[in-house]
Amino acid sequence: MLKKSLMLLAVAAVSLCFFGPAAFSQEDMKNVPNEVFGAPRRPAAVFPHDAHNEKAQIEDCAVCHHGGKDGKMDKEDMTAGTACVECHPVAGAPGQTSLMRAFHKQCVGCHLERKAGPVACGQCHVNK
Amino acid sequence: MNQLYDLAVGPLTWLAIGVFVIGSLYRLAAMYAMAKKKDGPYLTYMSWRFSLRSIMHWITPFGSLGWKENPALTIVTFIFHICLILVPIFLMSHIVLWDQFKGISYPALPDGAADLMSVAVILACLYFIWRRVSDPTVKFVTSCQDWTVLILVLLTFCTGFLSYHQIGSSLVMTTLHILCGEAMLIAIPFTRLSHMIFGLFTRAYIGSEFGNVRKARDW
Amino acid sequence: MSTIADRRIEDAGLEAGIARLTPEKIKKTIEAVLAGECGARLKTYIETCVRCGMCAKACHYYMSHKDPSYAPVGKVKQTMWEIINKKGDVTPEFIHQCAQVAYTECNLCRRCMHYCPLGIDTAYIMSVVRRICHKLGVTPQYIQDTAHSHSATMNQMWVKDDEWIDTLFWQEDEARDEMPNLRIPLDKEGADFMYSVIAPEPKFRTQLIYQAAYIFNAAGLNWTMPSFPGWDNSNMAMFTGDSEIMARIERQHFEAAQRLRVKRIVMGECGHAFRAVYDMGNRWLGWKWHPVPVVHSIEFFWELLTSGKIKIAQKYPGPVTVHDPCNTIRGRGLMDKLREVVNMICDGIVEMHPNREHNYCCCAGGGVINCGPPFKNVRIVGNKIKAEQLKATGVKTCVAPCHNCHGGLDDIIHKFDVGMELKFLGDIIYQCMEKPEAE
Ligand code: HEM
Ligand code: HEM
Ligand code: SF4
Ligand code: SF4
Repeated sequence: MLKKSLMLLAVAAVSLCFFGPAAFSQEDMKNVPNEVFGAPRRPAAVFPHDAHNEKAQIEDCAVCHHGGKDGKMDKEDMTAGTACVECHPVAGAPGQTSLMRAFHKQCVGCHLERKAGPVACGQCHVNK
Repeated sequence: MNQLYDLAVGPLTWLAIGVFVIGSLYRLAAMYAMAKKKDGPYLTYMSWRFSLRSIMHWITPFGSLGWKENPALTIVTFIFHICLILVPIFLMSHIVLWDQFKGISYPALPDGAADLMSVAVILACLYFIWRRVSDPTVKFVTSCQDWTVLILVLLTFCTGFLSYHQIGSSLVMTTLHILCGEAMLIAIPFTRLSHMIFGLFTRAYIGSEFGNVRKARDW
Repeated sequence: MSTIADRRIEDAGLEAGIARLTPEKIKKTIEAVLAGECGARLKTYIETCVRCGMCAKACHYYMSHKDPSYAPVGKVKQTMWEIINKKGDVTPEFIHQCAQVAYTECNLCRRCMHYCPLGIDTAYIMSVVRRICHKLGVTPQYIQDTAHSHSATMNQMWVKDDEWIDTLFWQEDEARDEMPNLRIPLDKEGADFMYSVIAPEPKFRTQLIYQAAYIFNAAGLNWTMPSFPGWDNSNMAMFTGDSEIMARIERQHFEAAQRLRVKRIVMGECGHAFRAVYDMGNRWLGWKWHPVPVVHSIEFFWELLTSGKIKIAQKYPGPVTVHDPCNTIRGRGLMDKLREVVNMICDGIVEMHPNREHNYCCCAGGGVINCGPPFKNVRIVGNKIKAEQLKATGVKTCVAPCHNCHGGLDDIIHKFDVGMELKFLGDIIYQCMEKPEAE
């Protein structure tokens, strides 16, 4: 009996991992938009905006939508609504954080810090 | 698992690169010091011209008698080594990590090409394994260490390939891959893989001795 | 698949040698040689060998037996790797095996360096094994006898000082029948060159001294031979691993030339002697190059023929094939000069393949033939590949400017019914040259 329920639990947990993101995501945002890259070489990173923030308990938009000046990040400056690429160009000049680098640092960096969330390439850039 | 990945992608990577670079330099320096102390007469015959002449012939496929007489191995080993060196350096996934952690970025191989090259390395390893069991001469001289390094290379490329194709759990496979790659880097200065560091010098010496003293070809 | 243990050969020298060994003595000696005499070369060779087996096809022993234990890397595995892995903790019987491999199954011909992508010098590794065996007193009886002779008399064949001079007088006398004012000038200070030969020449092949004297006199050369020790340029101690005696011989040879204040040394048609003088002795003695320039007969005959000092009356009939001796070709790059000489004195060359630097060894060199009868069969059977090469040329004459090669080729020519005569360059030049009296 115990064995059976454990099994069920495991199956549930695994399916949650696989289908969870899709089930909980808001319809308006499932991926980080990657059109700006022109010819992206990986599938767009999976990112169900609302579900992610709910799970990660992020309430303050500025945690991600930060601002900054002269290469210094400013966590107080809330920039939601401004496209990331406006500050982080696709091809970053020296001293600038390129768009890809900004995404990788922001996402993977936080996941590593919190010891939760996807970190390996294939966890976000899921092949169709 | 995230923690293991974090460990592998962070501190262990630096450890591996450090051991590889410093270990290789140390081994080269120690070997040179030993050569100066113990092999003086031989060092005096070293010559740039003849060293390079010999190396040029031997890094050309079929450029020497040995290559010509072992054609299958020649083709496989050249493909193997070229891909083995180019893929880790110019693979996009690797450059992305450099970019993410160090802000270093440079042009990458197209994914398709890198993937083909990885498959080539895996097939080459299988060929080497087949040789080691089926060719009596190779079998006669094969020891544990030869298997270890061969399997290490094979595992690194297999896990890399699997994680690129997202077969199996991405996180597990990628972490495994990184650990294998690091083990391989660490192994270079201290195992048979050290032929990467010393090979050019052993060739250069024989090239110098043949060119300088014996006035004959060595290819 | 066999190993050296399956083909153990009894040899009085080896048996007596291992009977005296103890494990402690073996370990101590091995450690002394490895730590005292070996350095980065041995270490990198042992470590970087990737065990790819490419060198197998280089070795005539392997090509003849097709047995992995005869491949260059197979020989190293059965000797040096084992010694190093076990840190010298090996048995007397194992030392016997090392000696048998290193002295009798490798000619130190260096062909394998043309096959190893990493340039590993298997011949050198085998020399180190020999050195260890020598220091342990485990050497084949026949070759050890020649080394004893070197150490006692400074020549290889127990030729006594007066016998040497006698022999030269005798050959001079004989030759004067043909050329009345012929001289073999002894100890002539300031001559253009000192001619040195190997001790088997006065012992068994005096005809060669006769011929050389005739050629030099006909060309009107200012030459000399030493009447005192130093006249023998051969060096079997080099092959037994007795580096100390090897160096004494080389020093004596160079000093003979210096004492006579000659401009250079011309050496007879011998390969191993040339290796000793040109390549080995100077290094052990700490000279980068030679204190007196050394010239091998191949090159010297080339000079005589191209400068017109010797003219050929009628070329030697029929095409011939040319055997490239390892020690003057892979060892000194004389392949072009050898062919030019042969073309000047013979009616065309039919090449063996592979040839030049890639030539197969005669299987006598490296002291192998000097290990004598107990090992003769392995040596001859171990060079079937060369017999096939000779046969494939279809010619009746083989020019081989090396004593050892003559020994080795002669054996396989008989064993495999090749039906070929062997010639030194000197033989042919003497026979075909314009002879002064004939005018
Ligand atoms: C020198 C050792 C290494 C070699 C030879 C190597 C080789 C490879 C190969 C062949 C692939 C798969 C490419 C394909 O099939 O298209 C790959 C992917 C990858 N490697 Fe390495 N690698 C090495 C070390 C490392 C290290 C030390 C790291 C991390 C610090 C790393 C991180 C990755 C990542 C993240 C991927 C991508 C997986 C994906 O695209 O999902 N590798 N590597
Ligand atoms: C850059 C310099 C290098 C050179 C010149 C070099 C050269 C060679 C050569 C000549 C061989 C023997 C031929 C054969 O068996 O395929 C060989 C074998 C091998 N190399 Fe390298 N190599 C280099 C770097 C590397 C590196 C970086 C690795 C791996 C980290 C590697 C792994 C191997 C392996 C595993 C074999 C053995 C194949 C077998 O089992 O037969 N090599 N290498
Ligand atoms: S006999 Fe020649 S080819 Fe064979 S192992 Fe010795 S040196 Fe190499
Ligand atoms: S060819 Fe060179 S590297 Fe390969 S097994 Fe022979 S000695 Fe070793």
